[in-house]
Amino acid sequence: MANPIEVEGLSKSFKVPVRETGVRESVRSLFRRDFRDVRAVEEISFELAPGEIVGFLGPNGAGKTTTIKMLTGLLHPSSGEARVLGYRPWDRERDLLRRIALVMGQRNNLAWDLPAVDSFVLNQAIYGIPEEAFRARQAKYVETLDVGDIVTKPVRNLSLGERMKMEIVGALLHGPEVLFLDEPTIGLDVTMQRRLRNFILEYNADTGATVLLTSHYMADVVALAQRVIVIDHGAILFDGPLSQLADRFSAHKKLTIEASDLPDDLSHWGRVLERTPYKVVLEVARESVSKTAAQMLNQATVTDLSIEEPPLEDVIDRVFTRAGNDDAED
Amino acid sequence: MTTPKTEFSWLRFYRAGARIGFQRDVQYRTMTFVFLLAFLVEPVIYLAVWQNVAASQGGSVGGYSEAALAAYYITWTLVRVFNLAFDPYAWEWRIRRGRLNDFLSTPIHPFHRDFSFFIGSKFVWTALWFPVAAVLTLIFRPEFNLSLFNIAAFGVAIWGGFAVRFVLLYLMGLANFWTTRASAVFGVVIAGELLLSGRLVPLALMPEWVDSLASWLPFKWTFQFPIEVLIGRLDSDAVWSGLGLQVLWALGMGVALWWGWKKAIVKYAAVGG
Amino acid sequence: MSSKPAGAVRLALLHWRIGALNEMQYRLNFWVQLFNSAIALATGLIAIALVYGHTTSLGGWSQPQLLAVMGVHITIGGILKTFIQPNMNRLMEDVQEGTLDYALTRPADSQLMVSVKEVSLWSVVDIALGLGVIGWSVNELRGDIGWSHAVGFIFALLCGAAIIYAIWLSVSTLSFKIVRTDSMMQLLNGIYEAGRWPVTVYPGFLRASLTFLIPLAFAVTVPAETITAKINWWMLVIGAGVTVLALVGVRAVWRWGISNYSGASA
Repeated sequence: MANPIEVEGLSKSFKVPVRETGVRESVRSLFRRDFRDVRAVEEISFELAPGEIVGFLGPNGAGKTTTIKMLTGLLHPSSGEARVLGYRPWDRERDLLRRIALVMGQRNNLAWDLPAVDSFVLNQAIYGIPEEAFRARQAKYVETLDVGDIVTKPVRNLSLGERMKMEIVGALLHGPEVLFLDEPTIGLDVTMQRRLRNFILEYNADTGATVLLTSHYMADVVALAQRVIVIDHGAILFDGPLSQLADRFSAHKKLTIEASDLPDDLSHWGRVLERTPYKVVLEVARESVSKTAAQMLNQATVTDLSIEEPPLEDVIDRVFTRAGNDDAED
Repeated sequence: MTTPKTEFSWLRFYRAGARIGFQRDVQYRTMTFVFLLAFLVEPVIYLAVWQNVAASQGGSVGGYSEAALAAYYITWTLVRVFNLAFDPYAWEWRIRRGRLNDFLSTPIHPFHRDFSFFIGSKFVWTALWFPVAAVLTLIFRPEFNLSLFNIAAFGVAIWGGFAVRFVLLYLMGLANFWTTRASAVFGVVIAGELLLSGRLVPLALMPEWVDSLASWLPFKWTFQFPIEVLIGRLDSDAVWSGLGLQVLWALGMGVALWWGWKKAIVKYAAVGG
Repeated sequence: MSSKPAGAVRLALLHWRIGALNEMQYRLNFWVQLFNSAIALATGLIAIALVYGHTTSLGGWSQPQLLAVMGVHITIGGILKTFIQPNMNRLMEDVQEGTLDYALTRPADSQLMVSVKEVSLWSVVDIALGLGVIGWSVNELRGDIGWSHAVGFIFALLCGAAIIYAIWLSVSTLSFKIVRTDSMMQLLNGIYEAGRWPVTVYPGFLRASLTFLIPLAFAVTVPAETITAKINWWMLVIGAGVTVLALVGVRAVWRWGISNYSGASA
């Protein structure tokens, strides 16, 4: 059986009019507009297996939202193929739209002036959710997210976090098999972010739904995704388990040594990040970290030693700054 | 995975959608009432002007006495309440705010959301209309030629007028997908409607060729026809054929809308919201 | 130190210049505006032609005279759309979002600030068209329209614009208390449409409302009466009085509004 999400050679370019400066150019632009091609997404390919949760990482303008829009049928690709549950998303077949859900952070699908429950009833009518299933799911979600008291308050009176909880509930009432989440926790406080993440994990565990999630927050990805796709400038830089991300992109590891008789000059072992009389933190090249550690164990009376991966945020940052240094994009 | 069982039914959806519109307008009833007043200033102006003209011509103009004019324009107010439709200017706002994307990722066409919403709100607007109509009746003293048949037919015709105008304005709204200057298109159509629908003045007071022209356009069926049904200016044949024409126009433009929308979405999805 | 009125004028001109320069970039908007205004004008002319197809006098006004009323209505409407409405919309938005502080924390007077910040450049097309229609009407009438009428007309027009400004700002200021005022602005715009016709066409108490409650009579009918030589010169004096009252009134309303402003709150 085919995978729920299959993407092959998907590309999207936009024609953006060139902004004119100066009087002469402005007059000229009245008659002839110059366009330049912006490649938002370039020949990307990937697949999601049933029940997978995959994180889509990338800086602003990387092409994440463009890809999500193509996979939910909001955008037609310039070339390439994609299938969600076997359908081509931009054909916008009703049967497909009934089985997926799109949740975008800081956006609302719910009626602004009315209590969320009223929008839930509307959703039931839109998706044709059988009464039993609707009641059961609504009750369960409301209980899990502990929103029983706010579900009858007008949505406009809710805080951002409360609103996002309502959005998620509304989005999952029809039991979608594929869930697209675009920056779902943006603007929320830490507790709320955690709550939402747990909810998504639970939903995935209960229903085996496939989840494609884009986020700025490493914490979202670490908590939810087993696999990560890194995209920048419209191209996929990495597609694999989170644990291998550092391996692939970071040339260094962090070596922390506690000892009382460390030599003064440690520069040839690696870059000194931190130094106190009894502890030193070094940035050591990946390949030589074991050797360095061994040598230091010989040379000093080591009471504690640890080797760590650099924080994923730093890894990602470096990936993007490295790749993005060519030109400043829109 | 198999397609999960869906119990979708149009009736159920329209009931839910109408409920949303109804509840929202009930919540904002004061604001809705002020909007209602804003919309009803227009016919009062026309009525005052034409009653003046009638008075200067010995009490009637074009077959309409002052009392008949009052009946026309007061009926106009209820017809107007019903033919208020989704603003074609609102599309730009909707696209820019990303609301269209929200709608497009669900299995129901935005038309049905809007149509059902408006149906629900009609009930609130009608309730708010009663006191206004009462006041206008006291001031302008209309004369009605009511019959059971007329009233029943009117009950159908106002919904027909709503359907025709709603589809028409929605169709116009599609212009937004091709140009950011759609206001120019709307300006022309609304001007046409003003003159050719019986909105500005009963078509009987217009030159004959205008009246004939109006018969070929959808506008007449949104204002003039329902009004004339109630004030008893049409014989039963005309009433029946008019109701039929309302259906034809609504369906015909509906087909155009269905086709035009497909094109619009392709255009929209080429560049996204 | 410059005098306050001169400073105020300078501030206004500064803002208007910025707004105008900004909009000049969008030359297409000029053509769109011209098109829309032409359509509206054509519709108005057709309406008048229709009326005079059935009668020779409407509320004591002949057809060429009525053209003047329409012309004044379009001109004042143009002033409304160019200078007044953009600021009112901006004001209501700022009150709703709590971003009004820019007007309150500068040395310039706050009412002035919110009244001149925005301008809708291409709506001047309406002012031009309106004056054109008035010119056409005067041309048709010839008669005994003299220089005194022209001067009186300009005076009455300015008074009219000031009265409209006062009304619009007063209603917009209500947004300090009642947050959603778009319905009221819509109502106001609807009522303004009543000024398309001379107040004499309206029955009894409607006419009184349009003279004393919302003085459209002084905003539109009086200037039209002046330029068509129908005017009873006392009306101009009363009109001036009404204008002063209106400006004093709106100042009081503004002061009240500001005292109710809670600032940038969530």
